[in-house]
Amino acid sequence: MEVDADAGGGSLVLLKQGAEARVFESNFVGRRCIVKERFSKKYRHPSLDSKLTSKRSNAEARCMTKARRLGVATPVLYGVDPVLHTLTFEYVDGPSVKDVFLEFGSHGVVEERLDDIAAQIGDAIGKLHDGGLVHGDLTTSNMLIRSSTNQLVLIDFGLSFTSTLPEDKAVDLYVLERALLSMHSSCGNVMDRILAAYRKSSKQWSSTLNKLAQVRQRGRKRTMVG
Amino acid sequence: MKAFDISNGDTLSVALFTDVTNSKELLDSMQAGTLEPEVAFLNALLIPDIFPVLAAAHKTLLSNSRGSLTTRTLHSELVYNYSGSKHITESLKRCGISDSSTYVLAARFNGSPDVMKAIAALISGKEIKLEELEGKANVAQIQKHYKIPGPELGISSLADAITCRIAARDAL
Repeated sequence: MEVDADAGGGSLVLLKQGAEARVFESNFVGRRCIVKERFSKKYRHPSLDSKLTSKRSNAEARCMTKARRLGVATPVLYGVDPVLHTLTFEYVDGPSVKDVFLEFGSHGVVEERLDDIAAQIGDAIGKLHDGGLVHGDLTTSNMLIRSSTNQLVLIDFGLSFTSTLPEDKAVDLYVLERALLSMHSSCGNVMDRILAAYRKSSKQWSSTLNKLAQVRQRGRKRTMVG
Repeated sequence: MKAFDISNGDTLSVALFTDVTNSKELLDSMQAGTLEPEVAFLNALLIPDIFPVLAAAHKTLLSNSRGSLTTRTLHSELVYNYSGSKHITESLKRCGISDSSTYVLAARFNGSPDVMKAIAALISGKEIKLEELEGKANVAQIQKHYKIPGPELGISSLADAITCRIAARDAL
């Protein structure tokens, strides 16, 4: 009988720390994995705190798996721990779209690759929106390119929610547009290419893009005056 | 037969059998609680790869360590967890063995070589390699049971889709 030696709940290596959660690299039954732990906030009442944290963890797990069902690649979910408030995902090997675009900015744009990535982004967002899922935090650092297949993988569904309102979808696209403008203006007009792909993939593109024009005028927040 | 390290030194030993002829006896003794040694039998037609089984095993050990098993025994919990559903009876029926099963995966937590030999002796069938799982899996049945739509298979393997459902069950 052979035993797979290097496996088991290996050590945790801290990769990133944010305001809501810490992200570790670890090992899950023999595969490299990412562990996202939502830590408790000491300024909140303990029972409220644990309720909020587990609700958010569950919502994230739900949205990630929903995105997969709609045909949008996300990391494979390996486990959910309701007691420690952790999610365990597949480790996706590859650079973030942010890194790729910044590289374009400093070393010149590879048009073919840029077109491919923009098309994949537009297609993925179109599928999400048609399925009634809004990502909520579309930035280039929340998109990875899997090295082995050049496939776009969306990550961080911590702010995702389900909605069919054109308003929510338009704000989703607007957030991405602002992020692209501020980070990657040297890549040319990526947003137009993304929207062209979005139009092809989403059946409800027309109402969303009309709304997007309105959102551009007033910004992300709705004015509640009058 | 192969053993996998799941977490903190706990292992899961698995063995795959085809042409099993005594599944009715196995089922009867398991339901009577007289199966010795205790072992989990999974319907291998629903297993395209061993990884989802390991994910289910990880989940099982975690709830066991917290004393929060949903089913009566550690090994039935493995079958229940593998099903990705919350319906215990249905899970055991579909992902466990039935009277007519001929293709079965036996899984045992922390099984020593002696225990695994005893398990192999219980089953009258032919042991085959785990590599055969992929070719023998019933894709249509898996897609139906786990409700895996076409678009998902475009971006993911069958095994990964099952793993997601096993992991996300309690979050749904």
